[in-house]
Amino acid sequence: MPESPSPDSSGPPESRQPVPPAAAGVRHILRKVVPYVPALIPLGLTLAIVFTLLYESHLQNFGWAFFGFNFADYGIMIFVVGSFLTSVPALLLAMLIGLGISIASTTYLPRFVSAWLDPFVDLLAGIPSIIYGIWGYFVVAPYFGVNVWPWSVMHLGWIPGFGRAQFSPAPSGDGLALAIIILTLMILPITTLLMRDALRSVPRDLWESGLALGATRWEVTRRVAIPYAKRGVWGAAFLGFGRAIGETVAVAMVIDQAQKLPLNVYDGTSTMASLIIETIDSAFILTPQGVLYLRFLTELALILLAITLAVNIAGRWIIRRTFTEVAGI
Amino acid sequence: MATPPLPATSRIESDDIRFDRVGHARRRLALDRAASWLLPLLFLVAIFPILDLVYWVSEHAVPGFTWQVIVTNPSGNAGGLYAPLMGSLSILGLATGFAIAFGFFGGLATAEFLGPRSAEMVRITANVMVGTPAIIVGLFGYFAFVIYFGWHLTLAAASLTLGIFMTPYVFRSTDLAYATVPSHIREAAYGSGAGAGQYLIRVATPIAFPQVLTGVFLAMAIGVGETAPLVLTTLQSNLPPTGLFSPSNALPFYIWSGYTSIFPTEIRLAFQAAFLLLIIVVGLNILVRVIAARARKRLEGLFQ
Repeated sequence: MPESPSPDSSGPPESRQPVPPAAAGVRHILRKVVPYVPALIPLGLTLAIVFTLLYESHLQNFGWAFFGFNFADYGIMIFVVGSFLTSVPALLLAMLIGLGISIASTTYLPRFVSAWLDPFVDLLAGIPSIIYGIWGYFVVAPYFGVNVWPWSVMHLGWIPGFGRAQFSPAPSGDGLALAIIILTLMILPITTLLMRDALRSVPRDLWESGLALGATRWEVTRRVAIPYAKRGVWGAAFLGFGRAIGETVAVAMVIDQAQKLPLNVYDGTSTMASLIIETIDSAFILTPQGVLYLRFLTELALILLAITLAVNIAGRWIIRRTFTEVAGI
Repeated sequence: MATPPLPATSRIESDDIRFDRVGHARRRLALDRAASWLLPLLFLVAIFPILDLVYWVSEHAVPGFTWQVIVTNPSGNAGGLYAPLMGSLSILGLATGFAIAFGFFGGLATAEFLGPRSAEMVRITANVMVGTPAIIVGLFGYFAFVIYFGWHLTLAAASLTLGIFMTPYVFRSTDLAYATVPSHIREAAYGSGAGAGQYLIRVATPIAFPQVLTGVFLAMAIGVGETAPLVLTTLQSNLPPTGLFSPSNALPFYIWSGYTSIFPTEIRLAFQAAFLLLIIVVGLNILVRVIAARARKRLEGLFQ
C-alpha cells in the first residue's frame, strides 16, 4: 500500500504507485511481447520448413526442361499432372458424396440416427493412411483387376481413357482409378464435416420461413441452406484439395508407381508426393547423380508445398469465421 | 433473443428464392421423398469401407496372433513385432511430449493473451500448418535433424519430426479449449478479484482441460499412424530402441517396408502390425469420445 496517497488521485490503487520507467518497460515486454513467442511457433515452424527446403535445394538450375514432361531431363510436369489427375476427380467425388451425406445428416435423418451414423465419417478420418494403402493394395486392387476392369473395357470402352490401354493389356487393378477411389475415401471426412458444420449453422428462422412459404425440405436445402452455407462449401473444397494433393503413402501404395503419364484410368503414374517417397532412397546415394536428384526432389517438394500452402491459406481464409474443430481437421 | 444479422457475404437475395413454379406439388413432394431416401444411402460409402477394412485386417491378422508376436523381435522375414511396437510407442511418447511443450503454451498464449486480430492471424497459420503434407515435414526432419544436427536415423530424429507434425493439432485444440470458456465465467472470475494467473489455473484450466486432453489424444491418433515422416527419419531396426540416439523401428514403417515382401510370413506380420495400429488408433478415438462425453455431462449448463 502507498503510505501517502495524494488526495487528488482517483485511479485504481496500482496507478497511484509511481512506477519507474525501466520496470514499466519490462512489464510491458512481459505483457505484450512474451505471449507472441509461443503463439508464433506454427509460423516459425512453417518458415523453418520453407527455408530449409529452399537452402537444401541449392536453387539448382535444371533449365527450362524442369517444366517439361521429360523425367530424364529432370522435368516435373508428369508429376504435377499426375497429382492433379488424382486429386481433382477425388475432390469432385468427395464433394458430391460429402454434400449428400451432410444434407442427409442435417436435414433428413432424425437426430438419434445421425448421432449413430456421423461417427463413422469421423472414424474414416482417423484411419491411418498406411492402412488405407494396404487395404487398397490387397482388397480393392484385385477386385478392380478381376471385375471392374473387364466390365469397363466391354461396356465403357468407347469413352477415351476407359478402354484397353496400349501397353497394359491386363492391369493388376492398381493405378490411377484406384488412387482416385482411395483418395476420395480419405478426404471424404474433411469435406463432409466442414459442409455439415456449415449447414448446421444455417439459422432456424431461415429454415422455418422457407417451410412456411410452402417449400419442401429439399427446396429449402437447395435454395436457402446451401446458398447460406456457400462459404463452408467452398472452404471444404479448398481444404479437401489441399489434403488430397499432399497425400503420400496411401497413393504411393496403390498408384502402381511409374514415371509416365497414364494412358487410361487403370494405368500407373506418379504424383509429386508419391514420387518423393518412392524414390527418395536413390537420392540418398552419395554420388553426383544422387545429390542432383535430392535437389530435384527438394524442388519438387517446394512446389508441392507452395500449392498446398496457397490452397490451405485460401480455404482457411474463406471459412475463418467458423471456429470449429473436428477430428483433426 | 435477437437474431444476429447475417454476414454480408451470405445474405440471401430475394431473387435466389425461386421455388418451382406452379401446380407440380406431386412432383415436388416426390423429389423431396426421393432425396430423403437416397441421400442417407450415401452413408454407406463411408460405412462400408470402414467395416470391410476392419474386418479384412482382423481376418488376416488374428489367426496366429499370439503373445509370441508381441514379445519377439523381428528377424529377417519372420519373428514378431516387439521392436516396431516398442519403437512406435517410444516415438509416440516423445513426439507427444514435444507437441505438448510447443503446442500447449502456444495455444494458451493465443487464446488468452493475444488481441483478437493477431489471434486470428495466428490461428490461420496453425490451421495452414495442419495442412502441410507429411512428406514435406519428413523431408524437413531429415535435413534438420538427421543431417544438420547429425543425429542420423535415430529415435530422437524420428520423434522430433513427428512432434513437429503433431504440434499444430495440440496448438489448435488448446486454443479452442481456452478461447471457448464462456465469457460470463471469465467476467465472474475477474470481477471477484482473481488475477490472470488465478483465473488460468483455478477457473479456465478445469473447464478447458478435457478438451485439451481430447486434442492431445487426437494428435496421438493421427501421429501414430503417420508413415511419411518416419520413412525418412527411421531405420529398419530389428531391435527396440535402447536410447535417444539408437535406431528405432515403427509399426507404420514396418508395414511400409513389408507389404510387398515375397515371404508370406512377413506379409502376415505386416497385417498384424496394421491390426495393432488399428487397435491403437481406434482405442484413442474411443477414448476421445468418452472423455468428450463425460466432460459434456460434467460441464452441462456452463455453455449456454
